[in-house]
Amino acid sequence: MSDNSKYISESIGLYVHVPFCRTKCRYCNFYSEPITKYDAGAIIKAMIAEMELRTAGYSIKTLYLGGGSPSSLPRELLLELVRQMKQRCQADEEFTVEINPGQVDEILLDKLHKKGVNRLSIGAQSFIQRELDFLGRQHTADCISKALGYGRSAGFENINLDLIFAVPGSSLDSWKYNLNSAIELSPDHISAYSLTYEDQTPIGIDLAAGIIKSVDEETDRQMYEMTIDELKRAGIYQYEISNFAKDGFECRHNLNYWANGGYIGIGPGATSYLRGVRSTNYPNIHRYAEAVGNGASTLETTEKLDNLEWACESAVLNLRRRSGINLAEFKKQTGFDAELLFEEPIQEYQKLGLIEKNNGRIYLTRKALGIADSILCDFSAV
Amino acid sequence: MSTEHIRNFSIIAHIDHGKSTLADRILELTGTVNERYKKDQFLDDMDIERERGITIKASAVTIGYEYEGKKYMLNLIDTPGHVDFHYEVSRALAACEGALLLVDATQGVEAQTVANSHLAIENDVELIGVINKIDLPAAQPDVVSEEIEHVIGLRKNECFNISAKTGKGVPELLEAIITLLPPPPDRSGERTAAMIFDSHCDDYRGVICYVRVFAGSLTVKRKIRFMGNSRTYIITELGKFTPTMTAVDKLSAGEVGYVIANIHELSDVTIGDTITDDAEPAEKALAGYKPPMQMVFSDFYPGNNTDYSGLRAAFAKLAPNDASFSFIAHNSPALGFGFRCGFLGLLHMEIIQERLEREYDIDVVQTAPTVSYEVLTKSGKVTKIDSPSELPDVTKIAELREPFVRLEIVTTNDSIGEIMKLAESRRCRLLKTDYISSTRVMLEYKAPLAEIVYDFYNILKSVSHGYATMDYEFMGFEASDLVKMDVLVNKVAVDALSIIVHRSTAEIRGRKLIARLRKSIPRHQFEIPLQAAIGSKIIARETVKAFRKDVTAKLYGGDVTRKMKVLKKQKEGKRRMKSIGSVQIPQEAFMSILDSKDSE
Repeated sequence: MSDNSKYISESIGLYVHVPFCRTKCRYCNFYSEPITKYDAGAIIKAMIAEMELRTAGYSIKTLYLGGGSPSSLPRELLLELVRQMKQRCQADEEFTVEINPGQVDEILLDKLHKKGVNRLSIGAQSFIQRELDFLGRQHTADCISKALGYGRSAGFENINLDLIFAVPGSSLDSWKYNLNSAIELSPDHISAYSLTYEDQTPIGIDLAAGIIKSVDEETDRQMYEMTIDELKRAGIYQYEISNFAKDGFECRHNLNYWANGGYIGIGPGATSYLRGVRSTNYPNIHRYAEAVGNGASTLETTEKLDNLEWACESAVLNLRRRSGINLAEFKKQTGFDAELLFEEPIQEYQKLGLIEKNNGRIYLTRKALGIADSILCDFSAV
Repeated sequence: MSTEHIRNFSIIAHIDHGKSTLADRILELTGTVNERYKKDQFLDDMDIERERGITIKASAVTIGYEYEGKKYMLNLIDTPGHVDFHYEVSRALAACEGALLLVDATQGVEAQTVANSHLAIENDVELIGVINKIDLPAAQPDVVSEEIEHVIGLRKNECFNISAKTGKGVPELLEAIITLLPPPPDRSGERTAAMIFDSHCDDYRGVICYVRVFAGSLTVKRKIRFMGNSRTYIITELGKFTPTMTAVDKLSAGEVGYVIANIHELSDVTIGDTITDDAEPAEKALAGYKPPMQMVFSDFYPGNNTDYSGLRAAFAKLAPNDASFSFIAHNSPALGFGFRCGFLGLLHMEIIQERLEREYDIDVVQTAPTVSYEVLTKSGKVTKIDSPSELPDVTKIAELREPFVRLEIVTTNDSIGEIMKLAESRRCRLLKTDYISSTRVMLEYKAPLAEIVYDFYNILKSVSHGYATMDYEFMGFEASDLVKMDVLVNKVAVDALSIIVHRSTAEIRGRKLIARLRKSIPRHQFEIPLQAAIGSKIIARETVKAFRKDVTAKLYGGDVTRKMKVLKKQKEGKRRMKSIGSVQIPQEAFMSILDSKDSE
């Protein structure tokens, strides 16, 4: 294993990827396998071994257990994984577990809370059954409020709901209904994503084949605008393109990604990023487990970014935050003066009212958010 | 060899009527080209020529042939078949006493055949009618010979029926070249006069001049003089194309060959110039032939992978071997530094563009081709302009004149109606209708060049189901009610999109142009108004709507690498377009203003 000692003081995030689901959702392109086909115990054991090896010497600031579907695991396995993760985090920081609202009860959430998990991310997606069916979700709208209630009873003070808008057949009214249903449950955080048709997913294939039709661009954007406004009214503020939180409830683990900070990803297909080196584990359960078993590297790809690439990535990621690029921080982190490095696009987009500069920060204006990629691409390379 | 045993001839043919095949067959039958070295269509020696099946530059081959026990020297001077290259045809014909008029037995006489035959007749070149492709089932040699008699005036019973492909009739044709075409006059005793009918530059040997000796002779080591510019040179090598270069000591009156004389720059050689002996010069130069006339102009700007100096260097290498192409530096407020280029026609333009890409790996942004105009100012001065941006202020213009051509269209009877409609929509005036056979007709129009130069031919082909052919010849400049139409993109006039149009069609063209432009400019982050204006009056308007959504919803740690790749690609895509103000305009947009797909 590489020498971790020189980065010992670095505070990083730890992401653990559970590569299992009970059923695969029709829009999902994350790596996962049906849990019934595998010896989950052996894989979790391998993941714990990987975690032990790779986190040694790092100071871990945030924990995130995602997937796949962590709640699809047998409970003992899930609790053991949680216990192992918590062990590696000295500070009393954010620890998120993703849950499927159809797969949890009061007892489980109580146990998770007792083991040190302090944030739940509930894969709600929609409160409309027809949409849940379309997305291939195996829970009902009812499950969402129940799961959230169990969480509150268990003592969770930081709960996120994931929502998806622009599902085929949806309208401004139906989306408003979804938003209001979510707001009524008083979550502390909401992630709202416009449905993305990834290649090779069932909905991506159906769209390409003309079997389904995406919501038109104009309606999609009106839904997005509505999300920003409605949530703001409920005291849930946008802090990233698709993320909203009550003050002080922004997801710290994810903020670290957009700050281009370091993180270690554990499990099949998980990505790590440490000091300009990005590496990804084999997105294949067998190869992954075999590598861990043989004491070999689990990495399928490793990419070393040069300083300039690193600076460009930082800019692209920073600009997804409403707070944008903090010029002083950027300089400290990358060594580059962002205003000089990106002089051309900054000036161009300032003129168009798509970028603003204020208080030592450069950030996208509200009207730029929906077309962010067309702007960020000019920061992706110089 | 006495001139009695020399024949200098060309082959005049419409494109695809089999000229190159016949040339190959003649070379083969006379043993000029060894079977082993034979590439099909030997005379077309540029890749593009062979691919497009057209001959761009005239070439000359000397062929040895025995007839009735006597040795003859045949010089075949090749001519291009396309309308753009009239000029090259005329220089080839000027070097000949005779020509084969080759017509496809399945197609009949076409417009270019007529035009080139007239050119030959004007040059006192003797014609032999040859009907090719008689081996094809659809061949109608009798109908075609009637047409030849009717339109060109050659006797139908004197036409030769051949198949260049199978070789049938070609030996008889070879004999006819000896018996029917006149030998060059014997002027060997006179003072030396040789006409340069082509030239090219060889990296190792310098400039090679293709010449036809009319009087006297040329010998190696003699000091020669170019009568046009009075420069003198010592001949270092003389030779013939057999078809490879074969050195000889002497070229006598009546012969065709090449001259090498330590000439470094092609610009030192003027096609049509007369070479004479420096010590005993001819009294006067030979009569030249029609000089090339550039009909079409377009601006070339360096594309994304090219810089200005790279483009200049490529042009500097291309231009010397193409006397009919010109380029001058030009600066466009919208597109930056580039070149205004002049061409014989659109095909010529496409060929240059293709050669830039293929031979020099240079990509260009090119503006829509335009013709040249004459401006009579109120002060009484006449100037020629070849770009709408050069037009003086409208208050200073007394008269605008545009080029007119005599347009000949040969077609089948059933498409006359459609063609007349097309011609009328293009401001063409019918001069003459001539029924050349029971099923085919020749229409003669006076046409504004600007209306036919770009897409007319394609539309003509389409409305006549492929049967109609056309040719045109420059007549002169005449006053027209022309106006300059500006195009404003995002409220900024883009000079490279301006066009000069006839007032009567300005509004329709403006509307169509703007509609096409809207389709070719991608949506941006903001709304882009597109306007067509004459002076300050907006005659058409459209809007390129802003795109509303272009964002990755989810971006966390695992997706960064993939997303950065996508963003970089997106940035590259932007770079491939020309940026005018904040608007990215793709190359197609500059050409789209002439696209005819929905204009008819």
